Amino acid sequence: MSSNLITFENVSRFYGEVLGINRVSLSIPPGVTSLVGPNGSGKTTLMNLMSGLLQPTEGKIEVLGASPSNPERLCKILGYCAQFDAFPKGLTGYKFVYAYLCVHGMSHAECDERARTALELVGLTGAANRLVAAYSKGMRQRVKLAQAIAHDPKVIVLDEPLNGLDPMARAEAIALFRQWGEQGRHVIVSSHILHEVDRISDQVILLSQGYVVAEGEIQGVRSEVKDQPMQILVRCDQPHLLASRLFQEDHVVEAVIQGDGRNLLLRTKDADSFYLMLNRVVLETGLTVESVAPADDDVNSVYQYLIGAAGGAV
Amino acid sequence: MNALWMRQIGGVLSLELKRTAFSKRGWWIYCLAAAPVAIALLHWLAELNHSRGGMGSHTVGEDSVIFAGMFLLFFLRGSLFFGMMGIFSNLFRGEMLEKTLHYYFLTPIRRELLVAGKYLAGLSVSLMLFVPSTALTFLLLGRHFGAAWTDYLVHGPGLSQLGSYVLVTALACIGYGAVFLVCGQLTKNPMIAAAIVWVWEGLNPFLPSLMKQVSVIFYLKSLCPMEVPVPPPFSIMAVETDPAATWVAVPGLLAVALILLAYAAISARQGEISYSD
Amino acid sequence: MAVYKKVYRPYEGKLTSRFARLMVIPRYAFEEMQRSRFLSIFYVATFLYPLVCALIIYVQHNASALQLLNVQNARNLISINVTFFLSLLGWQSVMALFIAAFIGPGQVSPDLANNGLSLYLARPFSRVDYVAGKMSILVILMSLMTWIPGLLLFLLQGYLEGWSWMADNTRIAYAFFVGSWIWILLLSLMALALSAWVKWKPAAGALMFVVFFVTSAFGATINAVQRTHWGNLASLSYLVGSIWVQLFEGTHKSTNGAIFFRSPIGEECPLWLCWAGLLSVVAICVYMLARKIRGAEVVR
Repeated sequence: MSSNLITFENVSRFYGEVLGINRVSLSIPPGVTSLVGPNGSGKTTLMNLMSGLLQPTEGKIEVLGASPSNPERLCKILGYCAQFDAFPKGLTGYKFVYAYLCVHGMSHAECDERARTALELVGLTGAANRLVAAYSKGMRQRVKLAQAIAHDPKVIVLDEPLNGLDPMARAEAIALFRQWGEQGRHVIVSSHILHEVDRISDQVILLSQGYVVAEGEIQGVRSEVKDQPMQILVRCDQPHLLASRLFQEDHVVEAVIQGDGRNLLLRTKDADSFYLMLNRVVLETGLTVESVAPADDDVNSVYQYLIGAAGGAV
Repeated sequence: MNALWMRQIGGVLSLELKRTAFSKRGWWIYCLAAAPVAIALLHWLAELNHSRGGMGSHTVGEDSVIFAGMFLLFFLRGSLFFGMMGIFSNLFRGEMLEKTLHYYFLTPIRRELLVAGKYLAGLSVSLMLFVPSTALTFLLLGRHFGAAWTDYLVHGPGLSQLGSYVLVTALACIGYGAVFLVCGQLTKNPMIAAAIVWVWEGLNPFLPSLMKQVSVIFYLKSLCPMEVPVPPPFSIMAVETDPAATWVAVPGLLAVALILLAYAAISARQGEISYSD
Repeated sequence: MAVYKKVYRPYEGKLTSRFARLMVIPRYAFEEMQRSRFLSIFYVATFLYPLVCALIIYVQHNASALQLLNVQNARNLISINVTFFLSLLGWQSVMALFIAAFIGPGQVSPDLANNGLSLYLARPFSRVDYVAGKMSILVILMSLMTWIPGLLLFLLQGYLEGWSWMADNTRIAYAFFVGSWIWILLLSLMALALSAWVKWKPAAGALMFVVFFVTSAFGATINAVQRTHWGNLASLSYLVGSIWVQLFEGTHKSTNGAIFFRSPIGEECPLWLCWAGLLSVVAICVYMLARKIRGAEVVR
């Protein structure tokens, strides 16, 4: 088993008769990975299993070679910012981060330095000496994040970390997640805000009703969804001409002129054939093409195709 | 134990002391510890007034007997029992209810050390509160006798009685603490288990000899320097049993506490976080 | 940005009465309580003692029943008098303590722990309405097991014994009624106050017993240490027992109070002190409720 991956081998978790996740096999490389799925799809269960807060009913999990049933080893390299908005009573933001660093076994000086660094990273230096109970929702979210990253973990698991953050804080958090991803850490994020998932993530795991529906890079996942024709948006000077040529091709399902009359949105079952055809049309007719871009090559579209409004079928 | 473990236990102790020792919610436990001291102080002041008026009402021996009864009725069956219940059953169950236990489970501390750290924190607080409470109450109760009381303490059985009561208090903290830590960890409603234990120990004087020994209070009463008989009319139902020897009672209680703590540590090892339960 | 016509209209119909709104709370609470089998069985079991008392009263007045059971002299053993009704009140009051300890903490603790109070208080529903609604649950349940069966038994005895007995013993009915209400109100307030303060159901329930038994032990300890009886003022059960004895017997005391509510002859404390003690407890409970029953908790 590679020690640079987070692996799930045929993992299932049941809560009595209720399914949490079933027969999940995953291999998560370094970088930012997003868990996407409707409520109750198993995202939090997956995160709890990964961080050792739950034990799998079946299967095996390894996080960079460490087993979640060995918290002494795992929790040195893993930090988890859970969804629970609860804190020990009577602690300030600084004390909250500092106290749990002490439980890691670090010296006072190291705990102090790491706590201050983590709080500075999340922008809470000014409020560090206030009680956590007096924090706003966004501040509570940030102090949880600080506590999760204070010991500089290699794996950072974040359950809806952008909840309650204002736009500025969200942008800063996203930049931080990207920075960690680029440093080679594993950053596992669950979120419902799909356009931000697009911005943050290198790869995505789609979950529905306890099953993994798709995993991998977004473009790769999209190209695998063959039953949904690709949508491509072409901006050119003669969209009507292009459309008339497109209708002669079998792989083109639909072509719609949009916007100011220069946009052509087409749906094709074979994107490669379309691009070849477009080159020919440009050469033959002198068509001026301003832009060509996939219109559904994002998480939102993939989510709609694979999971859909009703939670999707597996 | 290596240095890392010591630091980790220290971290847990520090956090728990903030939660347990200096918490406003525990005011009723402080009251339980302070109440007998207040009674003894009142007694001292009242007797000082009486003695000024030339009215001596009782002897040192009588006060010792009164303390023995007070220790059994109020300390062992009341303040120590309910105090330990309040401190120890909250250590795990309280964190589950407040949804903060996962912060500990996400640190690289051995779960066994976590249990040990929490237990030691609860024990420190309970010893800090109830041992001085016992000692002060004993010392104040006879204070108004002046030199006679000092003589009773230094040259008489007073100091050894004080030592016995302090030992029993400490063992009660250890024993009941372990019981309630396990109750709080394993049951959703530790109060039901506490109620069962309280009733069982209340019936202890009336149980057959063998069944008496399945309790904490039997061994604690065996270590008390004075026996307090069951008052009438219940005395006719009491079953006379020889008290347990010191060399049985002390190691026995410690062993029971260790076994319970080992069980708690194993449960913590297998523990999961599921706050919806 | 376009501003669209507002189509929302607030409700302009008739509002239900304040009392009806208040009674929503016990309505749902009783529905939930019925789901607990243990609680239902326990509550039904609390009516056993009044049933036995009714049988005793009946048998006492039924010569043929006495003959059948061959216990013609039984009339002399159990007299239907102050002691009889005081014992009934004492026993039912202890059962009421159990009911309050089982049910009371579940009323306020969950609302506070789950930040549910703002849902109540954001509606035309005041803090007083909330507390009154929650109290009514306990008041209704405890009334059904204390003064209602007590008065029914009094009426049964009066019916069988005759009008003159009733006229001579009206004091018993009055004492039973007032004594029950003192205990019901005290227990209800205590249960809600502890539930609001502690926020954890089991702990609040345990504290009910702690307050009842530990205060008695505390009072007994003071009495033993000081060789006095003034320690009884620290015991809730003594305070209530003394008031009951005064209600039932006036100044001609012949009993030692009720079971669990002892007020031994020779250990009397002034009645005004007993009332003052109870009123202090009530005041503390009201203060605790006023502090804790709020829509939002502000932490600085």
